[in-house]
Amino acid sequence: MKKSNAPAGARTPFQKWVDKYQGLFYLIPWIIGFLVFKAFPFGQSLYYSFTDMNFFKDGTSFVGLANYITAFHTRKITKALIITFKYAFITVPLKLIFALFIAYILNFKIACVNLFRTVYYIPSILGGSVAIAVLWKAVFSVDGLLNTVVRAVTFGAVQGPEWLSDPNYALWIICFLRIWQFGSAMVLFLAALKGVPADLYEAATIDGAGKWRQFFSITVPMITPIIFYNLVTQICQAFQEFNGPYIITNGGPRGSTTLISLLVYNYAFKSYDMGMASALAWIMFIIVCILTIIAFTSQKKWVYYSDER
Amino acid sequence: MGMKASNKIATFFKYFVLILVGVIMIYPLLWMISATFKDNSEIFAGISLWIKKPTLDGYRNALNNFGGSINILQAMLNTYSYVLPKVICTVVSACIAAYGFGRFDFPGRKLLFNIMLATLFLPQVVLNVPQYLLYNKFGWVDSPFYLAIWVHCAFATETYFVYQLVQFMRNVPRDLDEAAAIDGCSSFQTLYKVIVPMLGPALVSCALFQFMWSCNDFMGPLLYVSTPGKYPMSLFVKLSMDGDTGFAWNKILALSLISILPQLIVFFCAQDQFVEGISAGAVKG
Amino acid sequence: MSKAISRRNFLMATGAVGAAGLLAACGSKPAASSTASSAASQAPAASADESLALSDGPVNLSISWWGGDSRHAAYQSALEAFQAEHSNITVEPTFAAWSGWEEKMAAAFIAGNAQDVCQVNWNWLYNYSADGSKFVDLNTTSKFIDLTQWDSAAMDACYVANSQQCVPVSMTGRIFYWNMTTFNKAGITEVPKSLDDLMAAGKAFQEKLGNDYYPMHLGAYDRMILMVFYLESKYGKDWADPVTSTLNYTEDEIAEGLAFIKSLVDNHVMMNLKTYYSANSDTATHQSNEWITGKIAGIFEWDSAASKYSSALDDSNKDGFTVGEEIKFGDNNGGFSKVSMGLAITKTCKNVAEAATLINFLLNEEKGASIMGSECGIPASKAGLKFAQDAGAVKSLVAEANAKVMAFTTNKLDPLFENNDLKASGTGIYQEVFDNIDYGDQTPEEAVETLLDGMESVGYTIG
Repeated sequence: MKKSNAPAGARTPFQKWVDKYQGLFYLIPWIIGFLVFKAFPFGQSLYYSFTDMNFFKDGTSFVGLANYITAFHTRKITKALIITFKYAFITVPLKLIFALFIAYILNFKIACVNLFRTVYYIPSILGGSVAIAVLWKAVFSVDGLLNTVVRAVTFGAVQGPEWLSDPNYALWIICFLRIWQFGSAMVLFLAALKGVPADLYEAATIDGAGKWRQFFSITVPMITPIIFYNLVTQICQAFQEFNGPYIITNGGPRGSTTLISLLVYNYAFKSYDMGMASALAWIMFIIVCILTIIAFTSQKKWVYYSDER
Repeated sequence: MGMKASNKIATFFKYFVLILVGVIMIYPLLWMISATFKDNSEIFAGISLWIKKPTLDGYRNALNNFGGSINILQAMLNTYSYVLPKVICTVVSACIAAYGFGRFDFPGRKLLFNIMLATLFLPQVVLNVPQYLLYNKFGWVDSPFYLAIWVHCAFATETYFVYQLVQFMRNVPRDLDEAAAIDGCSSFQTLYKVIVPMLGPALVSCALFQFMWSCNDFMGPLLYVSTPGKYPMSLFVKLSMDGDTGFAWNKILALSLISILPQLIVFFCAQDQFVEGISAGAVKG
Repeated sequence: MSKAISRRNFLMATGAVGAAGLLAACGSKPAASSTASSAASQAPAASADESLALSDGPVNLSISWWGGDSRHAAYQSALEAFQAEHSNITVEPTFAAWSGWEEKMAAAFIAGNAQDVCQVNWNWLYNYSADGSKFVDLNTTSKFIDLTQWDSAAMDACYVANSQQCVPVSMTGRIFYWNMTTFNKAGITEVPKSLDDLMAAGKAFQEKLGNDYYPMHLGAYDRMILMVFYLESKYGKDWADPVTSTLNYTEDEIAEGLAFIKSLVDNHVMMNLKTYYSANSDTATHQSNEWITGKIAGIFEWDSAASKYSSALDDSNKDGFTVGEEIKFGDNNGGFSKVSMGLAITKTCKNVAEAATLINFLLNEEKGASIMGSECGIPASKAGLKFAQDAGAVKSLVAEANAKVMAFTTNKLDPLFENNDLKASGTGIYQEVFDNIDYGDQTPEEAVETLLDGMESVGYTIG
């Protein structure tokens, strides 16, 4: 190890071997962790997805792709898939833009900045608290806060929709909950913004670039790795979102907020149909994989890494 | 003069947005505080902060100690007795793994990285039972040291954090590593003398997130802790929520409030660490 | 020191013999055979396992339950009393609220590390132990549990896979509750006793109090139960066969039942579901502003839910809370009672005799039953009920509701009725059926098909 950084000219074959593989040395804990803690449950669930596994019924038989085929022929499931896509495509961009916007403002010299940061992080701390369930319904109820504001702003001209009972609007309720909990993304953006070297801004100011131009030509490019990270993880989390619909709408009205994870949960722990639950989980797995691959292919075009040579 | 006026407008606009958004963000917490002094019928009657008939029952009942086996103080202690090892293990192991992925080229790196990322994509729900069976085999279910809850974190299984650190690391120029190498640092010395200081803010945010998430986690402790004396806050808060016969909401909300106070304080105090100071200091040093 | 312990052990042993003798004395009708005869269609029940005996040495037992504050407290002090009486037995409890509890127990049943004694939901017997693999046949423990304290009907409901898998802690059924404060405002002074009363109340509420006042609100699952109640009351037969789950009703009859529910909505007796959701989403009725302030003045709920609903009312409405009377929609009694929860011994338990002794203590003996009171519902054990009542540990409101329900419910419930794919709020079939009707997407006749398809998919035999 120690000698691996000696001048390259004097390298023995052993040192070359060390040079080549020393990265793996740092991955040993992860590899062990993966093999011990992840590989088994993952393999198990993949296997279940090809069976009619039910922990409380004797005799598990291999059913091949039957679960997957049934899934795509079950209206409830295909509908949930579409809703999940909608949910992800609404929440991911909005949450990222909002988090970045607020982080950018907070990055200026602001009085009481600590207080503001904490306040903005509070929704993420509250998580799936019962208080949120109560409040959310009160805000979106037909005579609730939101519609009252809508009426006031439009001088009574617009009534406001029945958010909680109209299948066309209900998804927005849980979308809003997710966007509201933008704290973690904001924190990461803040950390990234602090990493942008101040001299870049100074140079830009001398060149006469305004605040907004600096934002798009300096700030954004410099933090693209974190934007990319947030994008990937937010896609991943949006597709697995469970808490929002679970505590607020329970999938209703008319199934309009039934995200796929709600069905996975129902199959796994209410109907004990582990085969179908696993199949749905792996369908989601494949979907998120594809989206991630697309994201990774695109990152060459827009993500800037300082460590690249 | 015009310049000044537009600056003033900009400042006003900035604060207007910040405060407006801030109110939306903090209102639920304020409501929660006021609701802890209300009774059931008032809690569901509306979302006003005004308390018509203040009562302290919520807080009085929050001190209930469930037959002497568990009380709020013990539950707090229990929570931190696994959250702290979890946070430390996560940060250390994730940092090491991220270093391996982020700074070295070796055959199979891409494949391993993709496998790691892919472990994010499967919903936890279907993994619960296989994991439970596994931990049961290890004898970790209801372990007095909460082994099932935190040990895996020592092996960089928290992929979010590994990936997060990899991304942050990619913004640390390699020149610094090379400079360190020329100074005669081994790769391990480079990690803790160069990379770790540069990653300071990212490491703190890792620790912070893991802290928050672990404190809030309910399903893990429910599955793996059975001895009441070992219950953490997340279980304790919900102990009285009996849907069959009903319960006092003010107590639940009071407990929830108490349980998030440490998180609020930690966030408030820690934020300077991840947004100021460290990275600047590192560059200078 | 050691002398004292051995003396206590000696007392223990004689106590056990004494208890066994007592059981034998009142055993003119042996426990095991009483359940066997009532479960006639099934194989004869196992008889008492004579090899079971209490141990003299120290024994560790574990027990698990879900519930709220007062139930946790009751169990814990009952366990203390038990340990004082059986000083060689240590009982370790595990408890939490209902939320997430079923997942925890399911995982534990799969892994085989569930507690020795478990408080079980009735449908767990079918969900987790349909083959009898998880719970001990309690008929084998009749030496330690006095099985004669329960009605055979209640015991039969826990008789699954030729095995008495649990003993019922309490029975429950649905009954009407009315907020008479609001009824009085509408000029009605008596609780509704007939369909006509209901319809008249609907009209009076709308005319005197306004469009947003309703005599009653029922969620989708409540509606399903009321529909079954209506049909049973009218046709006098169980909804489905309790053993084979063969549906006893024709499509026309079910259409009539659904139309009945719709007529209640159309006549302003019940709130349209869509209207309810628009203000409350899927929140339970007792947490809705309408219930708290008296705009919804009636529910059809489990007897055990009485205090939950009465305590939710605001001060001006609290006094009006009244347990309703049975409403006969036909010539028969409608409605069913069911086991609300039971106590079972898991097959992984190593000290079955002690576990059985504990169950008997909690449910049948004076010390245990008087502490448990009505914390797990009105005791189903006759002895337990008497002791609890004598100790004044029974909530009067719940007791009143329970007595009324048990007096008229004669129909049996089939285990598939509560199948999650049907019952689940949000994603269940019952929800879909009644939503379809209230959103105007299906007529009652069309909704029958949705209901029957769903029932067939979970295993009902449709005639």
